[in-house]
Amino acid sequence: MELHLGLALPTNPFSPIGYEGPFYTNVNTSNGSCSSGGGAGGSKKRRGFDEETRVVPKTLRLLLWKTDQPDDEDDPNDLDNSSSSSSAILKNDGEGLVGWPPVKAWRKKPRRHVHNGRGRGRANNNRMAASKSTYVKVKMEGNAIARKIDLSVHGSFESLSSTLMRMFNITEEHWQKSFKLAYQDREGDWLLAENVPWRTFTRSLKCIKLIRR
Amino acid sequence: MESSELKRSKDSVNSCESARRSSFPDEVLERVLSLLKSHRDRSSVSLVCKDWYNAERWSRTHVFIGNCYSVSPEIVARRFPRIRSVTLKGKPRFSDFNLVPENWGADIHAWLVVFAAEYPFLEELRLKRMAISDESLEFLAVSFPNFKALSLLSCDGFSTNGLAAIATHCKNLTELDIQENGIDDIGGSWLSCFPESFTTLEVLNFANLTSDINFDALEKLVGRCKSMRVLKLNRSVSLEQLQRLLVNAPQLAELGTGLFSQELTIREYEELESALSNCKNMHTLSGLWDATGIYLPALYLACTHLTFLNLSYAALQSVELAKLLAHCPQLKRLWVLDTVEDKGLEAVGLNCPLLEELRVFPADPFDDEIVHGVTEAGFVAVSFGCPRLHYVLYFCRQMTNAAVATIVQNCPDFTHFRLCIMNPGQPDYLTNEPMDEAFGAVVRTCTKLQRLSVSGLLTDLTFEYIGRYAKNLETLSVAFAGRSDWGMQCVLGGCPKLRKLEIRDCPFGNAALLSGLEKYESMRSLWMSACNVTMNGCRLLAREMPWLNVEVMKEDGSDDSQADKVYVYRSIAGPRRDAPPSVLTL
Repeated sequence: MELHLGLALPTNPFSPIGYEGPFYTNVNTSNGSCSSGGGAGGSKKRRGFDEETRVVPKTLRLLLWKTDQPDDEDDPNDLDNSSSSSSAILKNDGEGLVGWPPVKAWRKKPRRHVHNGRGRGRANNNRMAASKSTYVKVKMEGNAIARKIDLSVHGSFESLSSTLMRMFNITEEHWQKSFKLAYQDREGDWLLAENVPWRTFTRSLKCIKLIRR
Repeated sequence: MESSELKRSKDSVNSCESARRSSFPDEVLERVLSLLKSHRDRSSVSLVCKDWYNAERWSRTHVFIGNCYSVSPEIVARRFPRIRSVTLKGKPRFSDFNLVPENWGADIHAWLVVFAAEYPFLEELRLKRMAISDESLEFLAVSFPNFKALSLLSCDGFSTNGLAAIATHCKNLTELDIQENGIDDIGGSWLSCFPESFTTLEVLNFANLTSDINFDALEKLVGRCKSMRVLKLNRSVSLEQLQRLLVNAPQLAELGTGLFSQELTIREYEELESALSNCKNMHTLSGLWDATGIYLPALYLACTHLTFLNLSYAALQSVELAKLLAHCPQLKRLWVLDTVEDKGLEAVGLNCPLLEELRVFPADPFDDEIVHGVTEAGFVAVSFGCPRLHYVLYFCRQMTNAAVATIVQNCPDFTHFRLCIMNPGQPDYLTNEPMDEAFGAVVRTCTKLQRLSVSGLLTDLTFEYIGRYAKNLETLSVAFAGRSDWGMQCVLGGCPKLRKLEIRDCPFGNAALLSGLEKYESMRSLWMSACNVTMNGCRLLAREMPWLNVEVMKEDGSDDSQADKVYVYRSIAGPRRDAPPSVLTL
C-alpha cells in the first residue's frame, strides 16, 4: 500500500496531468487500529494542510526494509550488491513524475555498481548502504513535510520519542497530551506503537506518523 | 559593366540603388559576403535590398534550421542553391525527457531526398533531435560522393547497421560524431567497414555505443588516420587498449577514454601514464567511466593544458576531484557528478580560476532517499573562486535566495543560468519563502543572460522580474512554477529577445497563451504541457495566427477539452503533413 503525498494550491483548482492527485489518509483512532483510505487519481480530496500552498505533486514511495530475510540481524553493512531491493526509485510508468528531474534518458542508469565495485576499504561504500537500510520517513499530522530519521541509532521508544520531539519542536508535555505514535507496517496497515515491543516495531514498520489524539 | 552602372545611377526609384555611387558587380558582392559566417549576420544582410539578398543567397554555403518544420526542404533549396553544409534541429527539447510521443516526426528522409537532387555536393550534415533510419543513413552514404561530416546528437531510429553503411561508402569522411542517441546497438562490426585505404578521418566519436567494438579494426583505423584529432571511445575499450591507441595517436586534441578501471601492473600503469602525457595537444578529456582514485593520477601529467574536463561518467568523491584539479590550472569547462559534493566544488573554486562553465549532474536523480549531492554551499564556493563563470547547469536538493544573490554578485557575467532544485516547488530551505528573489537577483544582475531555467517554489513575482529585467533572454524553461496567468503574461510582454519558451506543470491558461499572439511570430517555438490550456484556446490561437502551427498532443484518458501538450511554432511551410494520429494540428 502506498502513501501518496500530494497537495494542490487551495485556491487554484488546477490538476496538472502526469501525477497522482492528493491523497487523504484516514486514521481512525477510536478503537486503536488504523486504516488508510485509498484511491489516487484526478479528483481532489480534502486537503488537511492549509498552511502549505505549494504543489508537491510527487508520488513518494516509502522506503522499504530489506524484506528478504526478516529473521536476520539487520546489519546495515551487509547489504547485498543488487541495489534494487531497498531503493525507492520514482518510475515513469504511471507513478511519479514523467521527465523530472530533467536529465536525459541515458543518464538514468543507476551508478550503484560504481560504489560497490570499488571495495578496498572505501568508507562511502558502506555509508551509501547504511543510509538506505535504516532511514525511515516520519510525518506529523498537520505538517506536510516528511522528515527522515535513522532508526539504527535508537534502541527504544524513549530515544525515538525524544528525537521526534526535537525534530518537530514539540515539548514533552505537549507530546504526552496531544500526540500518539503511529506506524504503517509492511502489510500496509496503520497501527499504534503503544503496546508493541521495540524489536517488533522496528522490524515491521515502513513509516511513522505522529497523530493527534 | 559601365553601362549597367549608368543605368543604375539613373534609377532613383529604389533608394538602395540610388544611394550607391559605385555599384559592386554581383561577383564582388558575393565574394565579400561569402566571408560572412554567422547566420544572423547573413539574415541581416539579406534584408538590405534585393541585390544583397541575391548575393547572400548565392554565396551561402551553410544553412542552419532551428526547427525542421519551420520551412520545407524545397523552400530551402530554392533560396540557397549552393549549400554544402546543413544543420537541422527537430523535436522539441522536452523530448529528451520523454515528454514527446515516440513517433512524433522530425524524420530526415524527406530532406535527404531533396538534398540528393539539389545539393549533390553536400559535405556536412549535423542533426539534433531528428529521427533517422538505417535506410536514410544508407541513402545518405551513397547519394553524396563528397560527403565529409556527419554529426548526430540526441537522434533516434537507427542502428549500428546505418553506421556501417556510412563507413563503407563515404570515401572522404572526416567526421563521424555520434552523441547521446537512441541507437540500436547491434554490434561493433561497423568499424571494420572502413576500407583499408581510408585515411581521412579526423573526428571519431562513438562514446554513445554500448556494445563491444572490433578493437583490431579500431587500432588499425586510428593508426592510418594521421590527421585524427578527436577520438572518443565507448565504455568497452579498456585501459590497456587505450594505451595502445594513444602511442599511435599522440596528436589527439580531444580524447574520450573508455572504461577507466582495470587491474594494471606497475609497468602497464607507467606505460599508460606515459602515453597520456605524450598527448601534448590534448585540451579536452572525457569518458573516464568508473574512474577511481587509483588510476586518476595517470592523467595528472596530461592535464596541464586541459581546458575541458568531462567527469560526468565518473562518480568521483571530493578528495579525488580535488587532487585531480590541482593539475588542471587552465580549466575553462568542467562537468561533474554531484558525488563530489560541496567539498569537491570548493576544490573547483580553489584550483580553477579560469573556469567559465560548470555543469553538476545528479548521480541519482530519481532516488529521493539520497541525502548527499551538492547544496547551495558548493555553488557559492565556486562563485568566489571563479569570477569568469558564465555558464552553469546545477542540480541540487536545496537552495536559498541569499546564496543565489551572492553567486550572481560574484559572477555577474552569466549568459546561461540553469538551476534545477530537484524537488518540485521547494522553497528556500532556510527561510521557507519562495525562490522569487533568487531569480530576481539573477535577471537584475546578469544583464547578458541568454538562457534561464528556473525551479523551486516560485510565484508570479519571479516572472514579473524576468519580464522586466531579462532584456537579452532568448530561452526560458519553467516547471512547477507560477500562480496565475499573470506570470506568463509578464514574460511574453517583457522579454524582447525571447525565442524559445518551454513550460510544464504550471497554472497558466488560455489568457496567458493568447496574450502572446504577436510574440510567437518572433519566436522559434512555445511548448506548454500539463498547464491549464484548453482545446478552445488553442483553436483560437490557430485561427488568429495563420503563420503559426499549433499542435496539440493528447494524453490517454484525459478530458476532451484539455490541451495536454501544446507545441506552437512559426512556419512558412504550412501545417505539417507527417504528424502521427496523436498529434492534432489545429
